[in-house]
Amino acid sequence: MGQLADALAVLNKGAALAAVQTALDAGVDPLDLVDDGRLGMEIVGAQFDRGEVFLMELMRAAQIFQSVVQVLNPRIVATHGATRTHGLVVLGTVAGDIHDLGKNIVKILLECRGVRVIDLGVDVSADRFVEAIREHQPQVVGMSALLTASVSEMNKNVEVFNAAGLRDGVKVIVGGGIVGEIDRRRLKADLATADANAGVRAIVGWIGRED
Amino acid sequence: MGEVMTPYERVEAAWNLQEADRVPVAPMVIYLLPYRAGLSVKEAIENPERLAQAAIDQSELVGDFIHPALTLLDHQAVLPNSTWDQISIDWRIWEHFPPRGNIPSSYFDKDLIGDYADILERGFASGLFSKRLSKAIFERSVDQWLYYGFDYPRDFWRAWHRFVRETGKMLQMGARALIPFDALISYRTFEGMVEDVIDRPELVKEACRLLGEYEIVGAMRRCMVAGAGEIPGADRIFLGNGLGAPPYVSPAIFDEFVYPYLKMQVDMAVTRGFKVHVHLDGDLTAALETLSHIADGLPQGHVMLDFEKTNMRRAKEVLGDKVCIYGNVPAVLMVYGTAKEVDDYCRKLIQDCAKGGGFILGSECEVPWDARPENVRAMIAAASLYGRY
Repeated sequence: MGQLADALAVLNKGAALAAVQTALDAGVDPLDLVDDGRLGMEIVGAQFDRGEVFLMELMRAAQIFQSVVQVLNPRIVATHGATRTHGLVVLGTVAGDIHDLGKNIVKILLECRGVRVIDLGVDVSADRFVEAIREHQPQVVGMSALLTASVSEMNKNVEVFNAAGLRDGVKVIVGGGIVGEIDRRRLKADLATADANAGVRAIVGWIGRED
Repeated sequence: MGEVMTPYERVEAAWNLQEADRVPVAPMVIYLLPYRAGLSVKEAIENPERLAQAAIDQSELVGDFIHPALTLLDHQAVLPNSTWDQISIDWRIWEHFPPRGNIPSSYFDKDLIGDYADILERGFASGLFSKRLSKAIFERSVDQWLYYGFDYPRDFWRAWHRFVRETGKMLQMGARALIPFDALISYRTFEGMVEDVIDRPELVKEACRLLGEYEIVGAMRRCMVAGAGEIPGADRIFLGNGLGAPPYVSPAIFDEFVYPYLKMQVDMAVTRGFKVHVHLDGDLTAALETLSHIADGLPQGHVMLDFEKTNMRRAKEVLGDKVCIYGNVPAVLMVYGTAKEVDDYCRKLIQDCAKGGGFILGSECEVPWDARPENVRAMIAAASLYGRY
């Protein structure tokens, strides 16, 4: 584990950026630094899973990682020709619901894992999800909700994906405070979780690997 | 013993940590009632008489007290009064029926405060005048501003005073306010506050102090308009906290950034004769020791803690001889559970929390508009079935 991972693990943005600069000056491959940063994110993620840190700290780690990536991306392009992402996820808060905090946390965590995210925003209709699946052909569709009434909306969307012949081509994950308390048998998804970190782990697992 | 106390007497006994004739009960149903009466959110808010009438007509679903929180509309006054109103009403949902996104989102980040300098220089009121909040507010006519500033509060409380007279039940509050850290999250966005707490903690604390004072002073004034001292329950301030608690922030952040300003607000209100209903979303089980000091230095019977996900049995153990606790039948159970499951849950809650008084059976935050009425009835019935003293 390098200095960048160490700095991320203690949520020290200044130390993280300094570690990046020192390593780049020493000729370290920027992709190796991305890997080291992800190691730091995994440490914070494990602390979150153990209840040692909370969403605010998890979000802070992701913010620091994003700042690091902003520094590294031009060097990656210069060294390797292009930045690399792996996998594509379409995210949105379902129709009738405008809560977006959980969705935004998942989005930033996925981006830290190198996953490209198409964020459809809030109050997203079934048709808009279908349109996005057809246009972007994601491996995973994530639907978020907070309200009890949104559960039926999630299930309706999955039925619409089925009717459109799109369901077999995508994994569906539903998240948000409400789904953590609902009997999972009520939800027509491959995975339902109220835990952002667990959701991200599942999505990355479905996609197969990280770059 | 039968029901020999009025709702007011019963609730007062609980606030004072005394056993009443039975456990008081009050699901928070201010969304369910207009939905069942066929009112849109817009109609319910704009016409308090119709909403109060819906509550009167369905008073069997109300319990011992009701909170007319949705509809105070302070934000439509000439000078916006309450951050709660500013940030909690998303105007896009108004026209729909059933109300889409029924619970107005306090999680809907608006990023209204670019930095803290202006607030620290001019006071928090300056933060309430942001055109980014809603253009519709600033497109109102002078007559509309005057109506919502002066006539609407009179009409609003006239309607709810009629509810009290006709049902014998009491109000849950005369005004509401926000715990400042929670309000700042909505004003700054959650992502923004993540940075602020770590990079600018002293600015956050100073803003919390200013906002906390602003909120509680305004709430006390609005309680007087509501009829504090004359109408049962109008002397209570509903002080809410949404994201300033685990799992969003750590217990350490709660202790450093949330609790001190909550305690400041409680002290300011109680020492001036008001009562404070502290509404705490999230799971504060890990912060119960901190909260056990919430009424330190204050007369008994003036503070109640209202929990969402907090372990109520543990809350009773830690807080039972200090403050009244209120909660926490899950919203999901009210929508997707059966009446039997609600009954079982309530019986267990009463077993865990009712002994010696100081407990009010309540819902976990708001009962959703799509809850089953039979589940609300089961919750209210449970107080009589299992909560006799």
